[in-house]
Amino acid sequence: MGNILIVTEIKDGVIREASYELAAFAQKLGGDVKSLVIGSGIAGEAESFAKKGGGTVYVADDASLANYNVEGYAAAIRAAVDASGADVVLISNTPSGWDVAPRIAAGLDIAFVSDVFDFQDGAYIRRVFNGKLDARIAVPGDKAVVTIQPGALPAFEGSSDGGTESLSVDTSGARSKFVETKVAASKGVDLSAAEVIISGGRGVGDPEKFKEVIQPLADVLGGAMGASRPVVDAGWLPHEYQVGSSGQVVTPKLYVAAGISGAIQHLVGMKGSNFIIAINKDADAPIFEVAQIGVVADLFDVIPALTAALQEAKG
Amino acid sequence: MKILVCLKQVPHQDARLDIDGAGTWIKEDGIKFEINSYDTFALEEALRIKDAGEAEVVVVSIGPDRVTQALRTALGMGADRAVHVKDAEIDGSDALGIAKVLAAVAKEESPDLVLMGLMSDDGNASAVPPMLAELMGVPSATAVMKAEPEGDGYRCERELEGGALEVVDLAKPCLIAVQSGLNQVRYASLKGIMAAKKKPLDTKGAGDLGLSGTVGAAGAKAQIEKIYAPVRGEGAEIIEGSTDEVVTQLVGKIKELGLL
Repeated sequence: MGNILIVTEIKDGVIREASYELAAFAQKLGGDVKSLVIGSGIAGEAESFAKKGGGTVYVADDASLANYNVEGYAAAIRAAVDASGADVVLISNTPSGWDVAPRIAAGLDIAFVSDVFDFQDGAYIRRVFNGKLDARIAVPGDKAVVTIQPGALPAFEGSSDGGTESLSVDTSGARSKFVETKVAASKGVDLSAAEVIISGGRGVGDPEKFKEVIQPLADVLGGAMGASRPVVDAGWLPHEYQVGSSGQVVTPKLYVAAGISGAIQHLVGMKGSNFIIAINKDADAPIFEVAQIGVVADLFDVIPALTAALQEAKG
Repeated sequence: MKILVCLKQVPHQDARLDIDGAGTWIKEDGIKFEINSYDTFALEEALRIKDAGEAEVVVVSIGPDRVTQALRTALGMGADRAVHVKDAEIDGSDALGIAKVLAAVAKEESPDLVLMGLMSDDGNASAVPPMLAELMGVPSATAVMKAEPEGDGYRCERELEGGALEVVDLAKPCLIAVQSGLNQVRYASLKGIMAAKKKPLDTKGAGDLGLSGTVGAAGAKAQIEKIYAPVRGEGAEIIEGSTDEVVTQLVGKIKELGLL
């Protein structure tokens, strides 16, 4: 695969686990691996990564790069592509990765393949249609910027024999400016402590139905009500009910997903549940992949009947 | 103040997904299409800026005849003008090809602000917005949950992981790709739909935009070789039967889990 450049990501001063996953993906591609570390005061991390799969590591260490900024990071990545002669640039599909990676591809006028989870027989594999289908993406010219889904493959645990090289980056022309990072506001509904969560998705249809159908099942089991992102986006329930990577990550004893298809962002938030029951009319819904029990049916038939039966069983 | 909103028309989220004969996309015959959900939030944001002051909202979409329906909907909601890029030569473009087409439209329009959704509901690639910003040479932000005027541009809050937000200032002209849920999307009113019939909807081809021979399948650097149903893991044990039978099994399982 020629020359590969791994673009690492620093969080709280440390190279993220996802960057070691990029190193594993680079091994899968095969080729000469070099890396880039961007930040401020990160020389130690860069040296460490050079020994842990990164190969020669370019270090863009500058006070102006202490926080993520699309133009500054793009400048650093471009400089590293020039220095390394990279054919393939690997970037994690994180909020900073998906923000900067397409810019690099457009600037270099090469292929971009996003949110890849595998590489098989010369093609990149990714999900499309919100997880319902997979796609094999071919890159005839071999030159590409590829973002990799975090957690898609285990982190590289081998070693490499690399050193570091400092990279000078000109960030003076940036017309976007980092202001601050805000942490999440405290949540009114804490789903993290609930033993039972009954979550509804777009399939529930409207906010009234959450009160009439979902909440009573949660009540009979002494549990809490949750929701998927489209429900919150539609304004049916406030954000604090949202289960998912951008909402709450939950680990109840029982998670019931009703009318939820199972987009990746939702699965990330609930797949750690002890036991998952999925109820969905669509037999191909990705939610059935993570559930222990699946019911292919209309939630409006099953849930009221289940609520009544549980009520009766409780006596 | 001019705002360009890029809309993609995608298969309805509940559409049946049958793979086409070539095995590279889904069969589009007989299925319903809708405006990409992320893009509806972008359009709403543009209309709110217009409501708050002087702004012209121009919507653009690339695709076959059916796309005019999406553009008419947007005009019905309050957009002022629509550009429909329709050309068989553009079919089979990859994300970079699409970004080049949109960049050519943006060059003609020279908007102060480009608004679009973070990703599409079909391709899920979140590729085009930063590519378009790069080709336009403007600053950008993705996964934006809030955008407010600040100085000579916009202060944006980008969604990070775990509910955290990154605040970033963009000088105009700039591009903002919105995350879903940043606003509540309005419906087109009957009055709006009637008024939309009189609003301009221009159609352009690749040649009009000076792009002949540079976009489309031939110019695509990334190509879908095949789409297919994912190879699933073991997956759920699917329980079947009448509602009563299913409920009995579920109650049994819930008892087993010690939750009754």
